[in-house]
Amino acid sequence: MMEQHLLHGTIVRLAIDEPEVMAEAMVRWGGDSEYLRLLDAEPPNQLSEKKFTEIFQKDQEKEPPAFYFFAIRTLVDDRLVGCAGLDGDAFPNGDAFVGIGIGDREFWGKGYGSDAMKVILRFAFQELNLRRISLDTFEYNPRAIRSYEKVGFVHEGRARKFLLREGRRWDMLFMGILREEWLARSG
Amino acid sequence: MNDLLRGEMVHLTADNPDVMAVQLFRWNQDTEWFRFLDTDPPRLFSEKKVKEFQEKELEKESSNELFFHIHTLEDDSLIGFVGLFDLFKHHGDSLVAIALGERDYWGKGYGTDAMKIMLRYAFYELNLRKVGLIVFEYNSRAIRSYEKIGFIPEGRIRGAILREGRRWDWLFMGLLREEWMGNQASRIGV
Repeated sequence: MMEQHLLHGTIVRLAIDEPEVMAEAMVRWGGDSEYLRLLDAEPPNQLSEKKFTEIFQKDQEKEPPAFYFFAIRTLVDDRLVGCAGLDGDAFPNGDAFVGIGIGDREFWGKGYGSDAMKVILRFAFQELNLRRISLDTFEYNPRAIRSYEKVGFVHEGRARKFLLREGRRWDMLFMGILREEWLARSG
Repeated sequence: MNDLLRGEMVHLTADNPDVMAVQLFRWNQDTEWFRFLDTDPPRLFSEKKVKEFQEKELEKESSNELFFHIHTLEDDSLIGFVGLFDLFKHHGDSLVAIALGERDYWGKGYGTDAMKIMLRYAFYELNLRKVGLIVFEYNSRAIRSYEKIGFIPEGRIRGAILREGRRWDWLFMGLLREEWMGNQASRIGV
């Protein structure tokens, strides 16, 4: 009845690493500013490895977790390829924000992100008993948008011309998935 | 949206630690009250000690405890407290505790009114799925009140209390969200 590998997907698993390991990866991935600009509205390269380590250390001490943060590792060879997390005070409304990033370019467009997202949704709905999951993403990230649609997220709205990058304006897209929608998909 | 914390006879609010400490110190002298509420032997803490304890409780800011002070609507007297504890957010359940320190307000519906407000808060604001409570076998007034509200007996821990030379059970009672909603619906004739 209780799943032995709740945090395992088909090709990835969600894991936790020492703060220093995650910090090193965050800085390495951050060296690719295309990755950062797909991921984040903040201008790239703001945090040092030391700062990331501190942040991760502090996060692990929060109790109960103010947010859940996972490393994404491949099942086949345990390679650290990205990270994903659930954020926001989900009590008492049962809604959380999900964020995901595949930092390693080699693993883009091959289903790793979708698989990780499926695992995190299962965790959110079957263990945390949340009612809905929200996310936001940028108009210029079609790979991510397709992945989220495939997993079951529904378009809910846009913040028009939210970003100003590369000299033009881009919308931020809001998507969400309800518990009942996820249940219907997972059978 | 309505005033969730206001009932028909009482409303729930928060008092400063020193105000509550004065009353708690008085109520603790009433050992019958204390023994309805607590398994610990009554200990007569000084008012200063009670106040320190109250202040420390507030500083804790525990996310699985939420207590209110009960004031009458007629003249705003502080008559007791009610609250949720052992609140498991993920599971959506909690225990509830209530105590009316002012003896003059026993058996007149004040406790029942306060408990109903607390349950409305638990089910309609915190969206809990279940609220449970523990009551001592010898507290018949409380047991009657809880049954009237709709709490259902779920079990007993036999002989958990030894007082006045005999054993007494702990009674566990519980109320599921749908049971409480059903009670609400029938009350308004739906």
